[in-house]
Amino acid sequence: MKRVAIVAIILAATAFTVRAQQQVKPENQIKYRKAAYTLMNLNYSSLAAMAEDKKPFDKDEAARNAEFVALLSTVPKNYFGEGTDKDTKAKPEIWTHRADFDAKMDKMVGEAAKMPAVVRSGDMAAFKKEVGDLGAACKACHDDFRAK
Amino acid sequence: MSFTSGRIRVWDLPTRIFHWALALLVIFSFTTGKVGGGWMQWHLKSGYAILALLVFRVAWGFAGSHSARFAAFLRGPRAAIGYARGILGGGHPFTTGHNPLGGWMVMFMLAILILQASTGLFADDEIATQGPLAAGVSNAFVERMTMIHKYNEWAIVAAVALHVTAVAAYQWGLKVDLLGPMVRGWKTAPPGLAQVEPARASSLLAVVIAAAAAALVYWLVVVYPRP
Repeated sequence: MKRVAIVAIILAATAFTVRAQQQVKPENQIKYRKAAYTLMNLNYSSLAAMAEDKKPFDKDEAARNAEFVALLSTVPKNYFGEGTDKDTKAKPEIWTHRADFDAKMDKMVGEAAKMPAVVRSGDMAAFKKEVGDLGAACKACHDDFRAK
Repeated sequence: MSFTSGRIRVWDLPTRIFHWALALLVIFSFTTGKVGGGWMQWHLKSGYAILALLVFRVAWGFAGSHSARFAAFLRGPRAAIGYARGILGGGHPFTTGHNPLGGWMVMFMLAILILQASTGLFADDEIATQGPLAAGVSNAFVERMTMIHKYNEWAIVAAVALHVTAVAAYQWGLKVDLLGPMVRGWKTAPPGLAQVEPARASSLLAVVIAAAAAALVYWLVVVYPRP
């Protein structure tokens, strides 16, 4: 009976360890966050072009872009884990100044979350302002935590 | 050519307008680039204006008034070192136009500003702002240009700081008025020192060159990149 208990504990511990190791491996974390940023760049650029009158404002397209940006903005923060500082423009400061990084990330996610409603409201002044605020939030992090 | 012992014309109007417009636009470009967001579109426009100013200044360096010409103020390293020694020794010879040391600073600032404006044309901040020529070249090239654009920014900040410090040292340390001539265009020669009035180019020529420079930049950033 005692032996069975020991075996059960070892098995449980092994399972726990394996499960921990099955968290997304660093290579893939980098892949996922880059993918999210790339698609944010695509959708946000479309919003910025409309805000700067480089292309006509199309409410449906803008709403789609805004939804994408809002959803995608929540992805990268999950993928800056241990060991994800290789083959990336992410600076080591992310891990040494984590609180600052997280605050700037949250600020960006917060601005992105406002975007769909602002687009649907059709208020162009508010739209232009929000596009600017979101861009500045992206930039704040790039300036401090993204290599040149 | 006339001889005068009073007021000497140092800087023609086009050179003065160039100087102060460039100073303001460099400050504006730096600020908008730092703030980002909705200001980035103005950062680009400011860069185009700076590029046009630089094209103008290079042409004016060949076709402008005497003091604006490269041939007039570009001196060898020996002249520059000799001049620097003289300044450090406490003397400062009366000069009109750029002194041998200042001439090199002009060339250095023109070079780093041309580098900044032209790398900006290809840069991409990967947020929402792209230089007008970025779409037509490879991403590897865009990345290199963006990196140079970001590092060279600090070379410009350092050069501007050195420039302002040097002017302040002349103005209030050596009591040589540099700001006045750059605003008014003339300075007063010391009594008894006759100076040759330098050759002056026509302002009409400056307007023509400036218009050509603006047209060239417009073509480069608006017409050429059109799909």
